[in-house]
Amino acid sequence: MVLPKRKSAFPPPPDRRTTDGDGASPRGSAAELPQEASREPSRDLARGSRDALGKAPGRVVTVTGAASFLGTNLVGLLEEDPRVSRIVAIDIKPPQTAQRKTRYYEVDFTQPTAEARLSEIFAAERTDTLVHLAFLASPSHGIAVAHELESVGTRHVLVAARHAHVRKVVMWSQTVLYGATPSNPNFLTEKHPLLAPTSEPFYADKIEAEAEMARFAQKAPGAIVTVLRTAPILGPTIHNYVTRYLSRKLVPTMMGFDPLVQFVHEIDAIAAFKLAIDRDHAGVFNIVADGVLPLSTVIKLAGRFAVPVPHPLAQTFGAAMWLAHMSEAPPSFMTHLRFLCVADGEKAKERMGFRPAYTTREAVLDFTSAQRLRDVKLLQETPA
Amino acid sequence: MTTRSKKTTASAKPRARASKPAASKPKVAEAAPAPAATKREAKRARRADLAAEPAVVAQIRELEAQLDRLIDEASRHDLSSLDAEDDETSHEEAEFDAEATLPVAQVPHRATPVAPKAAVQPEAVAAAAPAPAPASASMIGSFGDTQVSLPSAHGSAAVPPAPESVFDTARELLSSDFYLRKWGRLAMRGRSEEVDDFGFDPIYDAKLKPMLDFLYTKYFRVETYGIGSVPTSGRCVLVANHSGTLPLDGVMLKTAVKREQGDGGAGGANGRDVRWLTEDFIYHMPFLGGAMNRLGAVRACQENAERLLAKESLVAVFPEGVKGIGKLFSDRYRLQRFGRGGFIKLCLRTGTPIVPVAVMGAEETNPLLFKIEHLSKALGVPYVPVTPTFPLLGPLGLLPAPTKWRIQFGEPLDLSAHGPEAADDEILVGKLAERVRAAIQGMLDRVVGSRKSVFFG
Repeated sequence: MVLPKRKSAFPPPPDRRTTDGDGASPRGSAAELPQEASREPSRDLARGSRDALGKAPGRVVTVTGAASFLGTNLVGLLEEDPRVSRIVAIDIKPPQTAQRKTRYYEVDFTQPTAEARLSEIFAAERTDTLVHLAFLASPSHGIAVAHELESVGTRHVLVAARHAHVRKVVMWSQTVLYGATPSNPNFLTEKHPLLAPTSEPFYADKIEAEAEMARFAQKAPGAIVTVLRTAPILGPTIHNYVTRYLSRKLVPTMMGFDPLVQFVHEIDAIAAFKLAIDRDHAGVFNIVADGVLPLSTVIKLAGRFAVPVPHPLAQTFGAAMWLAHMSEAPPSFMTHLRFLCVADGEKAKERMGFRPAYTTREAVLDFTSAQRLRDVKLLQETPA
Repeated sequence: MTTRSKKTTASAKPRARASKPAASKPKVAEAAPAPAATKREAKRARRADLAAEPAVVAQIRELEAQLDRLIDEASRHDLSSLDAEDDETSHEEAEFDAEATLPVAQVPHRATPVAPKAAVQPEAVAAAAPAPAPASASMIGSFGDTQVSLPSAHGSAAVPPAPESVFDTARELLSSDFYLRKWGRLAMRGRSEEVDDFGFDPIYDAKLKPMLDFLYTKYFRVETYGIGSVPTSGRCVLVANHSGTLPLDGVMLKTAVKREQGDGGAGGANGRDVRWLTEDFIYHMPFLGGAMNRLGAVRACQENAERLLAKESLVAVFPEGVKGIGKLFSDRYRLQRFGRGGFIKLCLRTGTPIVPVAVMGAEETNPLLFKIEHLSKALGVPYVPVTPTFPLLGPLGLLPAPTKWRIQFGEPLDLSAHGPEAADDEILVGKLAERVRAAIQGMLDRVVGSRKSVFFG
């Protein structure tokens, strides 16, 4: 989850903002630069008009887990949003995208004092919106720390949020928590219970965190509570257990099983969080890309060899691999290689107005094109 | 959080260093063949080419101006009007993409216009390379060498340059990456890159079509009657009897409609695609579930059926379920209980007409003498069938007998008179289910009664 991309000290070099330019135009070539300049006033005008419509001009957005992939990118986005006056980044290390609007606090959720500390920070900064991203994106061997961070940490955060009367809380969750079972409908809606096996701490901690969130929503009826359940995130820059699985030369699959899988592109995932911060949408939403693909097709699109393993054998083999730190995920993730776990993104489309820009296939191809460069060592990347 | 990141930082350092010498040889990148010229990359290359031409640049600008106007309007209006406009633009974009002329209008597609800033888009980097200020949004990660390598990669995507020397060719042939890319392309032969929501794969379907046609015309010599009852458009539910130990009737029903509908047989095969609902257990078993999914089977559950009908598809259901295929030979052509009438509720709620279907001949393909249910838990199947041939001859014994099949489509039953609230009326649901059951049983009795031989009809 944590992506220490650069060892550069905080704050980052000030030229970042200028080089970023107006990133909204994906083709920032020299020919278009004058036009860019001419565009700025009109957009500022529009923003001004929106602010005049009644949105509080200076919102304070607090991001926990700010150094994670989602956190880093969200902080970068919020830095450029004039409607946000301050970003409070909370993590155990500073996000690299932090600029002048960001204030960084080092809080370790695994410490018992976290609750009081967070409460102080929220109150002192007058937090309006809290974005809770302090979750592990990939399964970890440090089960105890993960439990403290995700389950207990979420409680700390929410207790503090209730204490400080935070107006809105946006939390990250994942669709893998629905669990892959052969009796799943092809598209799981938000009403479907989270049935992932709680014997696996990765699922259990996150399900507990969601339960904490539901309790928070009951206890603090005034607060707007948004939970965004993302499908496995895939893209050219993100690193998680899915990208590591797909970047193996030989990808193990379950013999005879070829479930439909679904991803969401990293840009879409970030955009969904931005959307939830910008406008108020209470509720749980599945954030997924359009379209599904059989797992075998995904592996082939990624240019990998699938190695089918009989599933009774794979259980023990996978457990041994996990113990030896040789696999990306514990054996309980193997059900996702056998059965369906695809979520329905219709609610996010209708209620939030979330439009994924990449389909599942395009997300896979985008990941693949970056991964190919990584394979031949042409893409220098910082570790994740 | 901490432990993990620290560890990876340490381990990845040497990797980053090792990549430098490789990056300093851009020749390798140029010599390498176009990285598996997917459509997407070709499009990107074309996009880069287009940007060079002034006329196209003007067009792009015009579009961007349009886009700005849209963004301005959107920010002035409330959420609902924004949604409507989003819809319009996304349609526009779909057209652009289809013709691959000017795929510029990607930005309005996103709900937040700020979003693209977030991550490095490879094409953005490629296009920005000639610009003096490198616009690689460095927020996510330093892309460092990307600017060197990506343009060359894209350049070669447009015009693949010939390998310069024997050594380059050799290096290319010796790199495992080369074979992995080739394999990726090669392995996509028998499958589509995009499947529909339920995994139906048109290319795989076309590949298997000769085999299904053989089964249909030569092996089972299926005769189909009353295909006119199946509507050529709009939602419809085909309700059929289930039989035959192996779920072959779904596949044959699909083939029947595909072949017979439309220009009336003669192998025209332009009928509708039937999506049939299958029992859960085939998804527990290896190999079967994936293949059936690709041919158009869908797991039977209320949510899936509703979703299919909302898309106006032709859905086939076998309400007898596992009881149907697991019926003993002595009970052949005697319909089992129709579940809990779920299909009737479904049709009432969605206002879908029902066409009863009788499949004759499937009962005798694998006559089930008795079932072993003790082993079923261990093997993950509902029962272990014992047929005259099955455990005796091994897997070969599961080959279906070449019986003569008949498929009879009955008169459509319109439920729209009852209205959606009738779905909660259990008595009515029971009555309607019984009516459909009686219709199928009647057709079955008639067809079976008129048959002289199991194998010759």
